[in-house]
Amino acid sequence: MKKATWLSMILLTAMIFILAACGPDREETGADEADVSEGEEPEKPESLKVWVNDDDNQKEFYEEVTEEFTEETGISVEIEHHPMDEQLDKVSLDGPSGNGPDLFYQPHDMIGEANLQGLVSPIQADEEQLSIYEDSAIEAMSYEGELYGVPDVTETYALLYNKELVEEAPETISDLEEIAEELTDASNEEYGFLMEAANFYYTYPFMTAEGGYVFNQDEDGTYDSSDIGLANEGAVEGAEMIQSWYQNDYIPKGINDDILNGLFEDGKVGAVINGTWAVKDYVKAIGSENLGVAPLPTTDDGDPLNSFSGVKGWLVSNYSEDKYWASQLGLHITNTENAKKYHEASGQIPAVTEVVESDVLQENEHFNGFAEQTQYAEPMPNIPEMAQVWEPMGDAHEYIADGNDPEEVLNEAVEEIQAEIEMQAK
Amino acid sequence: MQKDPREPRPQVKKHNVNVATLLGLIPGIGQFYNRRIIKGSIMLVLATAFVLTFAQFLNIGYWGLFTLGTMQGVDDSRTLLIQGILSLFLTVVAIGFYAACVIDARRDAVKIQNGWKIPSVRTALSDWFDNAFPYLLVTPGLILLVFVVVFPLLFMVLLAFTNYDRYNAPPGNLLEWVGFQNFMDIVNVPIWRDTFVSVFSWTLTWTFGATTLQIALALLLAIIVNDKRIKFKRTIRTVFILPWAVPAFVTIMIFSALFNDNFGAINRDILEPLLGFGLPWMSDPFWAKTAIIMIQVWLGFPFVYALFTGVLQSISSDWYEAADVDGGSKWQKFRYITLPHVLFATAPLLIMQYSFNFNNFNIIYLFNEGGPAVRGQEAGGTDILISWVYDLTFQNSMYSMAAVVSIIMGMMVAIFAFFQFRRSRSFKEEGQV
Repeated sequence: MKKATWLSMILLTAMIFILAACGPDREETGADEADVSEGEEPEKPESLKVWVNDDDNQKEFYEEVTEEFTEETGISVEIEHHPMDEQLDKVSLDGPSGNGPDLFYQPHDMIGEANLQGLVSPIQADEEQLSIYEDSAIEAMSYEGELYGVPDVTETYALLYNKELVEEAPETISDLEEIAEELTDASNEEYGFLMEAANFYYTYPFMTAEGGYVFNQDEDGTYDSSDIGLANEGAVEGAEMIQSWYQNDYIPKGINDDILNGLFEDGKVGAVINGTWAVKDYVKAIGSENLGVAPLPTTDDGDPLNSFSGVKGWLVSNYSEDKYWASQLGLHITNTENAKKYHEASGQIPAVTEVVESDVLQENEHFNGFAEQTQYAEPMPNIPEMAQVWEPMGDAHEYIADGNDPEEVLNEAVEEIQAEIEMQAK
Repeated sequence: MQKDPREPRPQVKKHNVNVATLLGLIPGIGQFYNRRIIKGSIMLVLATAFVLTFAQFLNIGYWGLFTLGTMQGVDDSRTLLIQGILSLFLTVVAIGFYAACVIDARRDAVKIQNGWKIPSVRTALSDWFDNAFPYLLVTPGLILLVFVVVFPLLFMVLLAFTNYDRYNAPPGNLLEWVGFQNFMDIVNVPIWRDTFVSVFSWTLTWTFGATTLQIALALLLAIIVNDKRIKFKRTIRTVFILPWAVPAFVTIMIFSALFNDNFGAINRDILEPLLGFGLPWMSDPFWAKTAIIMIQVWLGFPFVYALFTGVLQSISSDWYEAADVDGGSKWQKFRYITLPHVLFATAPLLIMQYSFNFNNFNIIYLFNEGGPAVRGQEAGGTDILISWVYDLTFQNSMYSMAAVVSIIMGMMVAIFAFFQFRRSRSFKEEGQV
């Protein structure tokens, strides 16, 4: 009996190895279909699937614009709602099995990673169609010289101030420090100027004011991840300035967005650095007439500070069978006319130049300041290596707040970023 | 196997056990030889169906498991891995079925040789049903267990031997087997080693510190409240259970705000007026660890307290009276009556408390996401293994490394639980204590 079992086991194992050597039959053809030559439209599909961010406010807008698209082209559009930060994972799982979308919505800094995973395909559009968008937004959506997304909205932060405490927006960093000096009374929880000073997203303007940079960028906009400028002289200078704010008690340790918003809404803070997303609550708390929005102060030499900007936009799935028409749908959703409507529906700043320069935005005093800052904003690097930057830099800012030597701390952070990039890239 | 000597059966001697076994190598044929036609046909049909249905699936499954795909962008290593695992399961089932067929053919042949009469289909079926009934009941649970527990576990274990991270993530790229490389990296690469050692030692300190303290506090309170002289027992007990009643994540987030260095009530309203200075709860690893242990004690003691209170009620007062007669001191009564009673009855649940805290992701993550940062180390000051794994997977997309740490973690818990459960009384059979 035992012998028989063993025999059968051996037979089966042998079979397995024979099987393992076979593999599936298939033709070794390239997966990509031929690109469409210019001026020629590929055949229209019956329908396209688009994944939009899971936000009820925008539901009607999307239904309206996709209906227009259907009327124009005869292609029906199926809308599915998925939270933006889950879409990439879902595309990676649903794409290969054919259930993925043709078009989906992502912030531009995910493009590098999406590209690594082979999830996105370049946008198929002509010069004229792309000319309506802001250059910086197009740049943000480009990766290694190719455009991977149709820009939809840009967001950045600016200086928001309480007009009851600060009459006029500070123009230079020195002015800002003066306000801090004048108004700060930490024992009463009153502050002249507050920001999340341990969050690299917000400290970027100060780290780069004197010449710091994240990754060096060549003329085409390609990033060189081996050249990190976060511990150079300029960056150290910026870090020292931030440290001096802690040391002078202008900014308390342990500040986070909850505390910052709470204090500002209580009318205890002169000015804060925050994004468009904060405006609604601030207006509710201190009144529309009391809230001022200005671009970030300049350096004492008058150079504007570069804030980080994020661009959200439409990406074409690499698994889509109708990449051309998916691109067209993306372009349609964000065209000048629809961008205006979208701004009205959501209050965000579209990436279309005409709309940014239009009266609608220019005359809205709360968006005015953001729109102005957008000119100086630099898109967050969209290469996958950027993901390794946030944590070490955030940690470095904590050490700076604790009073460690900024140069030492920044050098350590850069070493850590480099080590992590190397560790993953091997 | 009753032999009836009055009826000689000439065909019996002709029946050859070895022939039956050999024929049994093809499912069903051995049974035909034994003249169990229906049983044989069922086996033959099942075997053929299996081969026809699954041959191609197994083929691709094993091919994928060995190669993890060959065409970049077309093959999806994750899917192939899953198919491979399913193929393994199917193979195990098939081998089991196959072995059962062969063994059955041989066993029946032996019986026939010994003069056993082949039962009618009806008796055979009812015999089979009687024997198999308990197994039939267990089977759905087993199958569920295989797919819900074993399958994901196997997937994770296999991932630990691949190079799955951000830079070669499927579907765009193919994974590769890297053997024990990831395990060696944990030991050999300095930043990994330093982080692992410090996170691991803190995890152990945290597990033993927080859990032991919460049990000790619960025991103390339970014994005091159980004292005859205490009045308003019900009210006191209700109050003690309260921390359990509020969802833990709400409590932790409130505590996180309370402990804030500059704005938290603990520093500003308690320590500063009393002592004149505050403590760096959030920015100094030592104080962050202290705070987090205190919070866990607060969150965890009500459950143990409720447990102990219940057990204390069940200790007969005769024991204490007998001790009084013998002149036992308070300490002796506690040491030799109360403590053994309470601990033996609750040991398995207390062990659960330890393994729960070992993997207590909620409190670490909600309190300060494993912070504060520690210079020269990947993980934060209060990161335990599980929160570090979360960080590796969801912040840094280092899936294979996260799998490695998970395996180490799983083994720790398993070994710990295994030995402790075996030692505790609850798992010994009656009379073996």
